[in-house]
Amino acid sequence: MTAEEKKTGFLARAPRSRLLEPGTPTNVARLFNDSGWTDGIPVILPTEARVAEMMKGTSHAPEETVGTMRPSPPHEAWEYTVEMVAANAVMAGAKPEHFPVILALASTGVTSLFSSTTSFARMVVVNGPIREQIKMNSGIGAMGPFNEANAAIGRAWTLISKNLGGGGTPGETYLGSQGNNLNYNNICFAEREELLPVGWKPFHVQKGYKAGESVVSTFTGWSMVNYGGFALPHHQFINRMLSAFFYSGTGSGSQATLLLDPITAQDIRNDEGFDTKERLSEWLMKNAMTPASLYWARRGGALKKAQEGVAPFASWLKYPEGSFLPVSNFRSEVPIEIIVVGGETNAFLMAGDFRYVSGASVDKWR
Amino acid sequence: MKTPACRAWAGVFLAFTLLAGFGAAAEEDMISILNPRGTPPPIRLVPMAPRLDTLDGKTIYVVNIGFGDTFLPEVRNVLAEKYPKADWVFKRKAGSYFDDDPKLWAEIKEKGNAMIMGVGH
Repeated sequence: MTAEEKKTGFLARAPRSRLLEPGTPTNVARLFNDSGWTDGIPVILPTEARVAEMMKGTSHAPEETVGTMRPSPPHEAWEYTVEMVAANAVMAGAKPEHFPVILALASTGVTSLFSSTTSFARMVVVNGPIREQIKMNSGIGAMGPFNEANAAIGRAWTLISKNLGGGGTPGETYLGSQGNNLNYNNICFAEREELLPVGWKPFHVQKGYKAGESVVSTFTGWSMVNYGGFALPHHQFINRMLSAFFYSGTGSGSQATLLLDPITAQDIRNDEGFDTKERLSEWLMKNAMTPASLYWARRGGALKKAQEGVAPFASWLKYPEGSFLPVSNFRSEVPIEIIVVGGETNAFLMAGDFRYVSGASVDKWR
Repeated sequence: MKTPACRAWAGVFLAFTLLAGFGAAAEEDMISILNPRGTPPPIRLVPMAPRLDTLDGKTIYVVNIGFGDTFLPEVRNVLAEKYPKADWVFKRKAGSYFDDDPKLWAEIKEKGNAMIMGVGH
């Protein structure tokens, strides 16, 4: 080996400067775009005055470390401070009152631009009093382009992931073959806690937080689909849809999150008898079936056992073509998550191959 | 009632205002901007693994991290055909491709001379 190939230790990087070289707004905006520091849409330039104004949204010091983030496990983790997050919050168009939610998101260390060839998406759900305080939308059009807080917080996460998390450079730190349009805003919304059916807990309470706490939760997945299941009771319709997730290939049909309009949630609670989110989740996980052909294609070990006559696999081989097997792909450690959101204009639901990743206290960052 | 003289002065004033406006547009104020980038860690140097002087008599592990079990067994077979004096061992790493497998690494350190790992999709 050459001496170069034997080298160990660390190479220092050039010191990071807090300020960039002064420039005209036009030139600085061009620099930001050409350097890959934006999401392709013009950003609000983070001048000292604007960042100072953003800092009014938190009691934390500018130089305090918020966390570290990396595009995926093999990559190096970048570190960032409160002020660095503030600069990106300004760029996203956020207001100081949004800043604690953005800091909480950044503190999770979860990137919104996970580097995988499969083009991951992320989702942000906000619970607790902060929803009302910053006027987040959990009603009509909650997941659409209609609300400043929903829009800016979701966008900020992607800018943070690029600029503070060392990711988002296609071909280098981002390898999603097709990319994912959901990454522009990361499905950022608030849960409609006020319209939860009796007995159904807010999402953050399900995860161990107090009802009065404000919490931001992150999810990972790939896609969302919009459903209206009017021919069957909702839970039976959802069950068939979950089985179809296996066909789609996303998430191997082993993770799911349901976003229920309040009408749908009330129907499921009052007409279909699921008095908690957990009961619905457990029923679906137990009853979601797996298409036989895909089961055998993906479970070489089980097929071998079936061919050797081992029960119950051998009996499943006798099922007619096109059958579903009485086996669920869902595992108890990855529950089907349920969130209520929407404006009660239709008994719809959205469902996707998402799972919960982490939560963080917003109050800690006020 | 506006006289011709008044109109002339108004015209001069308008022209002056427009020119001043154009001047401002052409000469934007310089602004000071915060660096939006975080702090990357120092670059860790990872030395290359020492080369084997020969494959003859050596045990080489071919490890699949979990993206299908079709390609790498074939790679192992091709290598075994091409280099028959080496012992080629195919292994599937435990768990998902993100999980560590210390047991396998210990086995390879004990019994192997080199490893080829297939990483990717």
